[in-house]
Amino acid sequence: MRKPLIVAATATSLLLAGCVQTRQVADVEFQPPQGNYSLIVMRPDVQVGSVTAGGLVEPRAEWTEQARGHLLQALRDQQSGRGGRTMVAATRESVPGVDPKTVADLERLHNAVGNSIALHKYMGADLPTKRRQGIDWTLGEDAVKLGRATGMDYALFLYAQDSIASTGRVALQVLGIAGCFVGFCAPQGGGGQTAYASLVDLRTGNVVWFNVLQTGSQLPGLAFGDIRTPEGSAQMVERLLGRMRAGRNVRNRAR
Amino acid sequence: MSDILTRRSLLGGLGCACCAGIVGTAEARIPPASMTPLIQAGYRPTETDEKGLWQQYERVEQEIAGSNLLIQDPALISYLGGLTERVGGPAAKDLRIYLAQIPEFNAFIAPTGFMVVFSGLLTRMRDEAQLSGVIAHEAGHFLRRHHVRGWRDLRRKSDVLSFAAMGAGVGGAAAGAYLGDAVRLAHMGTILSLFAYSRQLEAEADAMGLKLMAQSGYDPAAMPETWQQLIEEVEASARMRKKRPRRGYSLFATHPAPAERMTDLRVSAQEVKAGTGRDERGRDRYLKAIGAHRPRFLDDQVKLNDPGASLYIVQNLAKDGWNGLLRYQEAEIWRLRGEKGDDVRAAQGYAAAVTLPDAPPEAWRAHGYALLKSGQGEQGKAALGRYLAMAPQAKDASMVRYSLAQ
Repeated sequence: MRKPLIVAATATSLLLAGCVQTRQVADVEFQPPQGNYSLIVMRPDVQVGSVTAGGLVEPRAEWTEQARGHLLQALRDQQSGRGGRTMVAATRESVPGVDPKTVADLERLHNAVGNSIALHKYMGADLPTKRRQGIDWTLGEDAVKLGRATGMDYALFLYAQDSIASTGRVALQVLGIAGCFVGFCAPQGGGGQTAYASLVDLRTGNVVWFNVLQTGSQLPGLAFGDIRTPEGSAQMVERLLGRMRAGRNVRNRAR
Repeated sequence: MSDILTRRSLLGGLGCACCAGIVGTAEARIPPASMTPLIQAGYRPTETDEKGLWQQYERVEQEIAGSNLLIQDPALISYLGGLTERVGGPAAKDLRIYLAQIPEFNAFIAPTGFMVVFSGLLTRMRDEAQLSGVIAHEAGHFLRRHHVRGWRDLRRKSDVLSFAAMGAGVGGAAAGAYLGDAVRLAHMGTILSLFAYSRQLEAEADAMGLKLMAQSGYDPAAMPETWQQLIEEVEASARMRKKRPRRGYSLFATHPAPAERMTDLRVSAQEVKAGTGRDERGRDRYLKAIGAHRPRFLDDQVKLNDPGASLYIVQNLAKDGWNGLLRYQEAEIWRLRGEKGDDVRAAQGYAAAVTLPDAPPEAWRAHGYALLKSGQGEQGKAALGRYLAMAPQAKDASMVRYSLAQ
């Protein structure tokens, strides 16, 4: 409902075997934030569920709450490590100096722009006029206004989803692999993570950096992190935001 | 909503039990007397799966509550809220209702008890009893915990199927037999059984809804009427387009077939009505509440340019008496269709509309231009003058003045 294209893009890129993959795109002039900067995290969307034997994901309220807390803490820790000051707007009402309706409008705008980035940068619908130009999307004046009202330098939009294989699902995975010994190989997917982060420069309104993380495994009992734990959350934040690369022009000049 | 399947939109599709389904198949009628609410006032989920479902829908509700599709008129919203409270049974105080400006016949309720009603529903309802029937049906989904029951049915059946399929594959391979066809059959059987369960829940919501209507003093006969109207509208729409109406019968339907559903509803409505002897319709109250919005609602419908359906809707509302607005919109339907002879039909309609005391200003404008086109300049200008007198602030006032100056 909220980020259909983005989630679909990452879901289709899941490889058969277990893996962790990220793919970031950036504005050609992007410089990873360093030193004394401020960042507002816009109503982060976190969901954790259990994978049933039949492969459905059942949302879990308590796991989700746990994961949200750990993830936001991990984010704060990581950003302060880079010198940044982080503010988390947990609800639309909690952005100081900005009314909830304006926040909602900006969220919807970002949703549309984020879907466009997913479509043209992740799902293969390349725009011929934008090849090799990094990402060139903007939220425009609305984002600049948010920056002025809050005094923040950057806004981060964050989505994180983790699904944990239930006992029944693990049993089915075991059967699928055990079947290989009698000539019926049917490995089944277990749990996995999907997350994305989108960084908006509030001085220009531009989306300057975008990253998608995907983990998954078909081996029963093997998972690449679990955001219900502080360590797992820190790991996801590190994978998603820890290795921000500068934009192409910046890298070329540095060479 | 989104076309692309995500976990949340899938849940949304499963979770939001809509009342707009067109197709279905026969199942045994559920007597309303057998329907009792499964939850009490102030219900909060305690089981893990239902808690997860609720948490997800909290964010969905935030999204909907802030949508710019919502109609914000406080008087109308509080009217709908009052109605919801009246037919909500034990959940009366727990239900929330949102009105979206979408010209379609639809309403749905989420597992957490918020309901979204489309303006197209209000366009079609003749009185409060008809509307209360749809709201009571949705409340029935909530009171019978249909979302979590539907989810559990899906989870259980997909679990069983997965193990059966895997067992057949591994067992078959070990024994040297191929069981692929049996697995495919089982897959199909599971899907059909999921749809059947969904239809059973819809039938439950109908029965529960009728009971709620009768308990709150509304005429339960209004509920089958709503279905009769929908069937006739679909047929009228198809006839005008020279297409066959959808058969209304499918194994893959989530909702019962309208015809069977209506038959069951009629029998059940008689049953519950016998117990109360009250049969309120609340037509005046309904018209008073939606009155100010009716022109816009009808306009949205007519501009869909589905002339068969729109004519049916206008004529169905006119069973309670023609007025200027209905005559004007009837003429607009012909004008928008624009086939041979439709201009004459439209002109006659505008002429009929302006003879009625409550003709809207737009009827005078349309009448004026129709007269100008047919060469009756003086009468046409008089009608346009009447329009300007009635709506001096209209956005197109200067354009009409220009026409007058020609």
